[in-house]
Amino acid sequence: MAQTSTVRYLDLIKNGIFKENTIFKLALSLCPSIAVTNNLRNGVLMGAAVLFVQVMVNITISLMRKIIHPRIRLPIFMLVISGWVTVTDLTMAAFAREAYKQMGLYIQLIVAFASILARAEMFASKNKVTPSMFDGIGMGLGFLFALTVISFFRELLGKGSLWSFPIIHAKPLLIMILPAGGFFAVGILMAFFNWMSMRHESKGR
Amino acid sequence: MTGKDILKITLNLVVIYLIGGLILAVVYARTSPIMFKNAVIEKEAALKKLMPDADKIEKIGDWSIHEKHSEYFVAKKGDNIIGYIIQSFGKGYSSYINTLIAVDKDFRVQRINVLGHAETPGLGDEIETDSFKNQFKDKDVEHLKVLKTETTEYIQAISGATISSRAVTEDAVRNGVDFLKKAIKNRGDDEHGSDKHS
Repeated sequence: MAQTSTVRYLDLIKNGIFKENTIFKLALSLCPSIAVTNNLRNGVLMGAAVLFVQVMVNITISLMRKIIHPRIRLPIFMLVISGWVTVTDLTMAAFAREAYKQMGLYIQLIVAFASILARAEMFASKNKVTPSMFDGIGMGLGFLFALTVISFFRELLGKGSLWSFPIIHAKPLLIMILPAGGFFAVGILMAFFNWMSMRHESKGR
Repeated sequence: MTGKDILKITLNLVVIYLIGGLILAVVYARTSPIMFKNAVIEKEAALKKLMPDADKIEKIGDWSIHEKHSEYFVAKKGDNIIGYIIQSFGKGYSSYINTLIAVDKDFRVQRINVLGHAETPGLGDEIETDSFKNQFKDKDVEHLKVLKTETTEYIQAISGATISSRAVTEDAVRNGVDFLKKAIKNRGDDEHGSDKHS
């Protein structure tokens, strides 16, 4: 029994990273991801913040799932999400001032992430606390992974640096750090990951 | 939907929102004093960093730009005035850019610092980098101009962020220094004037 539940939790995490990756597979929350991924550090920090909020929201919703009246679940979800985002925002502003200065702009953006609301509605409101937590971890890690890959290529090509350290000394492709470059990067990477999973599937047969 | 349902939904919503509001109030009450204290410490440190030679920095007046309240300061070493610091704002691409500018006695810029803004991450936020800020050293009002080409005489724009570069240079810094020049001159005149009359 313990064995099978461990396997299940692992599957939930894998599901979030690969099969239902928020950006590459579900194509959700693209707008904020394009806005923040023009350098690696912002991408990673944003991914980490989303991971935290996603896990906390999933746990809270799952705990409350029996007392929420189905007709008003959406306003309740929104309250839980914005509540956790505000808590993260205030705590960071007070205790992690340096990090907050760099990402304070984006923290509040998390409220508008469709992916977090979608997981609350589709998973956490129907499942027990532990699986909901692992679903949150999986989804959050998937998002972190996607943002890291996108921002890695955008900063490398658009600025010739990584985490603000110069790497390439040629004239960079400025368009990659502009919003248009964000669409290019997401589109090409999305195609790549879909191609990979198609190959994977056909091999499995 | 019966009346009972409506009552149940209302109660459910009210209770959960009340709890949510309470939690946020508690978190805010605990974090805001720390936030406020840090902001004061940070401001003092920021002033000190702009004028490392000064041993005393005093506020001498208030002014406003873009309807935002700002302050200006005199920096002294012993009894000698070695320069002035002014806080100023510039209207950028997506925000008002909050800057501090230190000038010497002849109103040449010594250092500037960007305290806050919400410019485009990855483009406009390059106004915070030293390579941009260091360009301001020893510039007077006439040379606070943004060029898109390479220049050391004027200020060179950040590629992809001309609007943010202009906002800092031609709005915040130039207006700040201009104002400071007049304000200090008037103060001098006033003191002279009162001397004469007495």
